[in-house]
Amino acid sequence: MSEPADTQLVPPSSVVLVSGGSRGLGLAIVTDLLDAGVRVAAFARTITPELEKLAAEHPDRVHVGSVDVTDLRAAQSFVREVEQRLGPIDGIVNNAAMGQDSLHAHTATEDIARIIETNLTAPLQLTRLVIRRMLAKGLRGRIVNITSICGQRGFPGLVAYSATKGGMDAATRSLARELGGRMLVNSVAPGFFASEMSAVLGPTQLDQIVRRTPTGHLTEPVEVTPVVRMLLREHTNINGQVIVVDGAASI
Amino acid sequence: MNELSRAQIRDLMAQVLKNQDKELPADDAAQLREIGFRSLDFSELALRVEDETGEELNFDAPGLRRIATVGDVLDFLVELQHQ
Ligand SMILES: NC(=O)c1ccc[n+]([C@@H]2O[C@H](COP(=O)([O-])OP(=O)(O)OC[C@H]3O[C@@H](n4cnc5c(N)ncnc54)[C@H](OP(=O)(O)O)[C@@H]3O)[C@@H](O)[C@H]2O)c1
Repeated sequence: MSEPADTQLVPPSSVVLVSGGSRGLGLAIVTDLLDAGVRVAAFARTITPELEKLAAEHPDRVHVGSVDVTDLRAAQSFVREVEQRLGPIDGIVNNAAMGQDSLHAHTATEDIARIIETNLTAPLQLTRLVIRRMLAKGLRGRIVNITSICGQRGFPGLVAYSATKGGMDAATRSLARELGGRMLVNSVAPGFFASEMSAVLGPTQLDQIVRRTPTGHLTEPVEVTPVVRMLLREHTNINGQVIVVDGAASI
Repeated sequence: MNELSRAQIRDLMAQVLKNQDKELPADDAAQLREIGFRSLDFSELALRVEDETGEELNFDAPGLRRIATVGDVLDFLVELQHQ
């Protein structure tokens, strides 16, 4: 079906849903968006004191909840709560994910299923849920998927994880086409950074990554948040892209 | 559960190495790096143990990275069978 292009611009997001906003990169994204004046809804299975504190500091601009991203019903009611408290959601950051550190041959099949459910099925469903509401209201918005350098480069011990991240990068491109300019859809793919997720990597692994990185350090969450904010807030024509933030470690 | 002893696992380990024309030293303190026993050799050994016992042995990589000697390999697999 060939249609005339939709030439209206996509405005900056004003109410952004961040999955996995309780710690690590997600918490950094929530903090950064609040500093930029955005209204933010964040969930994770466990609400941390850090997230609690942000909610207390900005009672009229933050909504937090304890939701498992794989529980679609819980996600649905969270989205309703958010809309009531903060207004219609016009931005989403799919950040919640679980890591992996096991050779494929020795990863239990249930573990493979759980990684795919958490990192691929759940964000696709959450995105569907939110874009249905945006489309129904005639809203334009932005979608940012936090993927990983693993979606495009190989790393032992991360086979199922890489498959989910590459899957989200592929979905990003097709969604950007499908949404016909009503929403800007992009991925941000960080290199390794220190967090609970990467804590499983031994000091030798981390040293090795640093040695191979031209900028000489692991990517920091604060080096990723400006890119996420730009994709949510700035007027650019970036759509359907995967932006790698890894200090050229993969180049 | 059908479980392999340390000695039985040692025999399997010797076979894995023999297939590559390498020899398994008698000393448990021997370094894997020196013998040329690498992580995929460990995988092969674990799968051979699985074949004998009929039980899947799944494990994370961090445990694997701590293994440095022949004794570590045997301890790890004996322990893993109990999980
Ligand atoms: N760390 C790295 O080196 C690295 C590199 C590249 C990309 N990334 C990506 O960056 C993103 C953030 O990673 P991170 O390192 O900041 O991870 P992290 O510190 O482990 O934080 C993960 C966040 O997601 C939440 N979460 C996990 N499973 C969830 C579930 N089932 N339902 C709801 N929330 C869930 C966690 O909270 P709860 O556990 O309380 O639910 C937490 O808030 C992920 O998409 C990751 O794949 C990380």
